[in-house]
Amino acid sequence: MIHKINLYDVTLRDGSHAISHQLSISQVDEYTKAIDTTGVYAIEVGHGNGLGASSVLVGQSQLSDEILIKTAKNNLQHTKLGIHVIPGFATIKKDIEKALSWGVDIVRVASHCTEADITERHLGYVREKGKEAYGLLMMSHMASPEILLDEAIKMQTYGAEAIVILDSAGSYLPDDVKARITLLSQNLNVPVGFHAHNNLGLGISNSLVAIEAGAQIIDGATKGFGAGAGNAQMEVLAAVLQKMNYKTNVDLYRLLDVADLVEKDLIKEPITISSLSIVSAIAGVFSGFSKHVKRIAKEFNVDPRDIFMELGKQKVVAGQEDTIIDIALKLQKRI
Amino acid sequence: MKFKVAILGTGNIGTDLLIKISRSPYLQCTLFAGRNLSSKGMLKAMSLGITLSDRGIDAILENPECCDLVFDATSASSHKIHAPILKQLNKIVIDLTPAKLGLFTIPAVNLDEALKYDNLNMITCGGQASIPIAYAISKVVSSIEYIELVSTIASKSAGPGTRANIDEYIETTEKALSHFTGAQNVKVIINLNPAQPSIDMNTTIYLKINNPDMDLISSEIKKMVVIIQSYVPGYFLALEPVYDNGLVILSIKVQGLGDYLPKYAGNLDIINSAAIALAEEFAKNKEVCL
Amino acid sequence: MLTLTEKDISNLEKLKNKAILITGGSGFIGTWLIQLLIWLNDKYHFNVKLYLIARHATGALDTFIDSRQDIIFIQDDIRNIREFPKDIVYIIHAASSPDNRIYMSNPIESMNIITDGTKNTMENALLLEKLEKIVHLSSGQIYGTLDSHNITENDFGKLNCNSITAIYPEAKRYAETLVNAYRSLHKLPIVQVRPFSFIGPFMSLNKPWAINSFIRDVLKTKNIRILGNGKPIRSYMYPTDMALWILNMLANGKNGAAYNLGSDMGISLEEVALKIKNIVGSSVSIETLNMNDDCSEFVPNIDYARRELGLDIAVHIDDALLKSIQWFEKNLV
Repeated sequence: MIHKINLYDVTLRDGSHAISHQLSISQVDEYTKAIDTTGVYAIEVGHGNGLGASSVLVGQSQLSDEILIKTAKNNLQHTKLGIHVIPGFATIKKDIEKALSWGVDIVRVASHCTEADITERHLGYVREKGKEAYGLLMMSHMASPEILLDEAIKMQTYGAEAIVILDSAGSYLPDDVKARITLLSQNLNVPVGFHAHNNLGLGISNSLVAIEAGAQIIDGATKGFGAGAGNAQMEVLAAVLQKMNYKTNVDLYRLLDVADLVEKDLIKEPITISSLSIVSAIAGVFSGFSKHVKRIAKEFNVDPRDIFMELGKQKVVAGQEDTIIDIALKLQKRI
Repeated sequence: MKFKVAILGTGNIGTDLLIKISRSPYLQCTLFAGRNLSSKGMLKAMSLGITLSDRGIDAILENPECCDLVFDATSASSHKIHAPILKQLNKIVIDLTPAKLGLFTIPAVNLDEALKYDNLNMITCGGQASIPIAYAISKVVSSIEYIELVSTIASKSAGPGTRANIDEYIETTEKALSHFTGAQNVKVIINLNPAQPSIDMNTTIYLKINNPDMDLISSEIKKMVVIIQSYVPGYFLALEPVYDNGLVILSIKVQGLGDYLPKYAGNLDIINSAAIALAEEFAKNKEVCL
Repeated sequence: MLTLTEKDISNLEKLKNKAILITGGSGFIGTWLIQLLIWLNDKYHFNVKLYLIARHATGALDTFIDSRQDIIFIQDDIRNIREFPKDIVYIIHAASSPDNRIYMSNPIESMNIITDGTKNTMENALLLEKLEKIVHLSSGQIYGTLDSHNITENDFGKLNCNSITAIYPEAKRYAETLVNAYRSLHKLPIVQVRPFSFIGPFMSLNKPWAINSFIRDVLKTKNIRILGNGKPIRSYMYPTDMALWILNMLANGKNGAAYNLGSDMGISLEEVALKIKNIVGSSVSIETLNMNDDCSEFVPNIDYARRELGLDIAVHIDDALLKSIQWFEKNLV
């Protein structure tokens, strides 16, 4: 049975990483107006690390969560509005409660791929409030398919209505994707989604493998606008899916118009696969670390690639950006 | 004569406290009370010759002379029941649960104030690790615009209780941080890392300070680290303070003593060690009063 | 609250003037049993003395406990309680929570409550001289996955113990087996009862079952979301039937027998959503998202209880839903 594929647009959230969380009101306004005509299932807005994440650690956002969400909500009539939430950064009282009052439809609660039980209360809260809750497993390459399934089952039990696994480091090979998505699709009662990063040029093909293995929600970003080497390029994906006769509800031409808009007004430089992105993928480190690594490497005059490799050795998780400076110092001493 | 203390709650935290107390020259554990005589903690206590009870707080109610101070390592809901009872009995209570009914206490910071209260809590692990440092800095600068604490702990050191209370952890630590430093603009972040071998608890502190005198700040920090090390031997400065982009940045690591809890549980060890230091202060104070 | 026939009352004769212990008294099942027993005491002079063991008294219980002489609340953990009051004649062992979320977040403690709690209950029961029957509340989940339209007490399917979804059912299966061992060796009089699915007042809508989500959705947003294709078949027993059945099984259940507890009227999730819509009104929308192919059935065959104990379903699904929704409308925060 061929299901409908829901395209979930993370341009204004993962893309935030690409511009160090400096999205402007006019950018959000323009983009959301345009994307609402395309038929994508939902669009996510916010700081790259989600609600309440604006901080020194991962970068301060130019716009508050409130302005980001309200600006987007204003323009969305046909598209659901989603947010990304990481317990440990955001809390129910300080952040989620307010976000729901601003009109968020979908809350995607994310944890590191082995720590799903920290999302119990947050998922429960969103469901209690009658909104849609998804469970997200970040850095999912760091867990075997079997462990991932256990964690996904936990989130499903807590009320997650879909489980999305993230290739936060952009390091998956197609077989890695197939093994995980297949196992999850076969054993969960809720739909499975996949979030690709393009560090090894596999964003689109990994997304296709995921779909063939049973995924029904695919994250993408216009022009790939996302952390590191960016996400699966959404308009390319839409075109491929159209060619393969999958139903996505997306008007391709309108989506291409949005891509042109992004090229003109949102991105300063095209998202490409930089050398550093390749190294971060090989090291298995979160793509969102790139800008911090680059800056600190320059400051301390060390090779950013060495920093990434060391981060990988230490198996750091998203949120451990504070280790970058520590590693840079140690590398500096060695030189 | 040693100061008599009781422990309510015979799980891992209570048992670890027991072992620390057995090393203390000031404290004597006169009662180890819980609900289940065959639990691992109880068996350990029995092997140390400690008086046991499975009647929980009733054991203290029936024999109020047994102790002057009580460590409550049960649960937030139980502590809310224990607190008024222990107050009636005139006991000093050190609360290790998330109930947080009493005074926020950090031995390196407000020990004198704590002696005036009868219900004290240890805030959170991140709080114990970083607030004294932020406090020390706040004393030598005119103002702190913003403080951010980022703690990363080993997954194995975070049990179901911790995992279900991440929001409370953040909110309590932020509240205490503002309280002790006067900084109103604060943020606390916590991460769990499953890497094996388990990592030591790591806390990075970012402080937004205008024109900081780094030498002065560094020396104050080092002084404070020494004070903390006197009751938390596994505490050390992992990243010496640097000034980067308008921010003073430093990192602290805590390695547990491995008394009962494994060494990677530095987050639990620092709270227990702080609690012991506090109890010892009450003990010393009592001697002085006599 | 409910209409009992003369036959219902006479079936429960044996319980008159006896002391009954309910472990896990603060749960959904416990709460309803208490309500029924109080009703029997007040309206029909059953003179039952009710002992409850639970770790905490919930809101619903608090009102009964303080004001009534016929209820004695023992606050304790079922694993630790050292002995039971000596006058106990009947035991309903209901101590464990079928809230899957607790099993996911705290699997070891959760299993422990079932295994050690059941063992301790049996050990304490051994010392009761007047004991006549124990109802052990097991779970319909012990049957595992089955391709069956309705599951009889002898139909056993597959249970993959290498999965975290096995935590609750495996612990319950172990408990049933353990309880049988006490029957075999020590001749404890045991009736196994296997509950399926219920809907009614005092249920927590946060528990992640489809029907709970539908009701919560409809009361909050007027839009019912069916995640799958709506085809899975379930059945729902109303708690007044549930409580009455359990008391019957306690009074008259055969020593060593196992009885399913639930409704055998299978209904698809789609139909459930439609029924809810019919009750709440035309402004309700139903969204079928077709996000999975699940067509599973979880419906008990209850012919054994019907035949052996003369029991039947008094409250059918439409009525059950109506009463439930009315209650939730009033009580949902």
